Amino acid sequence: MSEIDMSVINPEMMKPYVWLQTSDDSIQQVEQEIAMFCPFICQEIIQKSMGSSKNCAICLPQQVSPAMLSLILDYCRFHQVLGRSNKERKSYDEKFVRIDTERLCELTSAADSLQLKPLVDLTSRALARIIEGRSPEEIRDIFHLPDDLTEEEKLEPLRNITDDPRIRLLNRLYAKKRKELKERERIKALSKDLFTPYNFKSSGLTLAQNVEVEEEHVDERSVDDLLSFINGNDGDQKGIKTSKNKKKNRRKKDQQKNSSLKEASVPEKKEEVNGHNNRHHSSEADRPQKLTGKWKILPAD
Amino acid sequence: MGDFLDPDLISDLPQSIIETILIQLPIRDAVRTSILSRKWRYKWSTITQLVFDEKCYPTCNDRELVHKSVVEFITRLLFLHQGPIHKFHIVNASLASCPAINQWILFLSRNDIKDFNLELGEGDFFRMPSCFFGCEKLTRLELSRCELYPPASFKGFSCLKSLNLHQVLISPEAIESLISSCPLLESLSLSYFDCLALTVCAPNLKYLCLEGEFTEICLVDTPLLVELSVAMYMTDDVAEHMEQSSTCNFVKFLGGVPNLERLVGLIDFTKYLSIGNDLGHLAITYNYLETIEMYQVSFEDMKEILVVLRLITSSPNLKELHISGSSNISAGTYAAGMEFWEKECPSDSILSQLKLVKLTEMSGVPHEIEFIKFLLGCSPVLETMSIIPSMYDMECQLKMLVELMKFRRASSKAEVYFIRGD
Repeated sequence: MSEIDMSVINPEMMKPYVWLQTSDDSIQQVEQEIAMFCPFICQEIIQKSMGSSKNCAICLPQQVSPAMLSLILDYCRFHQVLGRSNKERKSYDEKFVRIDTERLCELTSAADSLQLKPLVDLTSRALARIIEGRSPEEIRDIFHLPDDLTEEEKLEPLRNITDDPRIRLLNRLYAKKRKELKERERIKALSKDLFTPYNFKSSGLTLAQNVEVEEEHVDERSVDDLLSFINGNDGDQKGIKTSKNKKKNRRKKDQQKNSSLKEASVPEKKEEVNGHNNRHHSSEADRPQKLTGKWKILPAD
Repeated sequence: MGDFLDPDLISDLPQSIIETILIQLPIRDAVRTSILSRKWRYKWSTITQLVFDEKCYPTCNDRELVHKSVVEFITRLLFLHQGPIHKFHIVNASLASCPAINQWILFLSRNDIKDFNLELGEGDFFRMPSCFFGCEKLTRLELSRCELYPPASFKGFSCLKSLNLHQVLISPEAIESLISSCPLLESLSLSYFDCLALTVCAPNLKYLCLEGEFTEICLVDTPLLVELSVAMYMTDDVAEHMEQSSTCNFVKFLGGVPNLERLVGLIDFTKYLSIGNDLGHLAITYNYLETIEMYQVSFEDMKEILVVLRLITSSPNLKELHISGSSNISAGTYAAGMEFWEKECPSDSILSQLKLVKLTEMSGVPHEIEFIKFLLGCSPVLETMSIIPSMYDMECQLKMLVELMKFRRASSKAEVYFIRGD
């Protein structure tokens, strides 16, 4: 909006001052040129012809307190001068955001309500720098965030990020349990000749079974492998093998169930253990499988 | 502890601001905010920009484990993500080709991806899956160490503005078709391409950067081209084969770029341009060309010198000139064809805007000396000329300097720096 356009629209607007009302209902006079730097104020003046006198002062959004307005006007006052070099502006910006965190957040909110995007970006960047590299406790401390997630909830999305000591500990426990289970399977498998092979369908794949001891490897999600198979991953033999392994492991667990129920059933990922798992073939090891323990070991997907 | 008394400073800011903040964090820090508090649990999951760089690698010496961890991290993150993803970059991450990438691309193609950058590390190239060609909103694409085989039904990326392919395997027909089927393409960069005859047809193209072993380059429909940078590697047999062709490479390449502002030619570019040059007067003027940089110009080959002269004299607004001589010259070669200079450089030619000249790798051969004489004599507003000789022998340097001292300078302000190397 050039000055000439503005004077054509409304000669009244050439007055150098506008009246602004902040969140505490106090009204102040501000140089128009500087206030116009904020799109919100600009709109109010042009579209609604507000601000020309004390009676029709522009009502600023409630996030803008007098202190914040003063800061924002300082910012506008500096930047609306055209002759400044980029270096000068950058240097000013860096000093500008060296305020305490509480005021920084308030300033971000106020700038956003006035639609002053450059200032929002600047303050956001400063807040990001505060957050970066800090531990959750520190961040909660700085921003007064409530620590209201349960332990389990905290772990859920982050299970694979191994640098949290709690997760490392849990992973170690899981790994230990997994190892124990594998040991038992191996022992079971050694007496496999007594098992009658079952043909079963699992998620559309029918596998021939040769029950053999598989080499130790980490559990992979079979649905994941299946998807990659569907997505045309030709030649991903490892993926296919992995799903076979998974099926075998599950089948072994299932066979205990089936041997007692005498029916083939589709195994769920998190097994419908209905107590039959505790029954074993006579040739197996005598260690009973702890029901709840096994439940926890399954990969939580 | 004091949570009740001190109000939460940040969680109630509008989501758009939270996203602006989260986008500026490294991706791991952004995801970690999910354990700050109940409100923050899923704030990260709607960010539209995902950048995975070296910061998202856990510190560990086992490469396979690190790789597996990163692949799982990205897969899980995408699974938990909600909403559109506009920017997805994997850079500096030494990611190796793996099947999971197919799934990521499928996911992105369904989530309005606009800016996609995939930089793979050492190892096998990754073949882009067919779902990739369904990313209709793509505006910026950068690939490194991939294979592209567009299906026959592919009609191009209608929104693509910037294309950067580095060490990408793609057939010549496919790349030409890709370029011409992206009508909005403004910036194109192809590097590490081999033995490619390339015809570029891109009406909106402004920035072009080519590097590789090309057999031929034709700019057919690029009227808006502003910046051009070419590093052309020519093997000897290619050069021989080209000698026989009758068409003029200069015209084919630079004939249709009247708006050119900056031209950079590296490796064998001048040699390439010189082939088929009919030595006639050039019909085009480059009115906006302000900067010319040519490297590896052989001052023993008259045709190459002619190319440079043609360029300079066809650019009335040339301000900056960088010429680097060829390193293949044996000093003290007998100069043939000195009458060439009188013929090609009439004494009344003026380079009216030339202010800065930088000449490097100068071996002191007679044609170089004449070239400097020409520049000094025809540049009335010249301010700085730097000459950096390539020979170490003091005697040769002195000889060259003595010659240079004789020359008439059209500009009284001209400062000539003879910079002797360490």
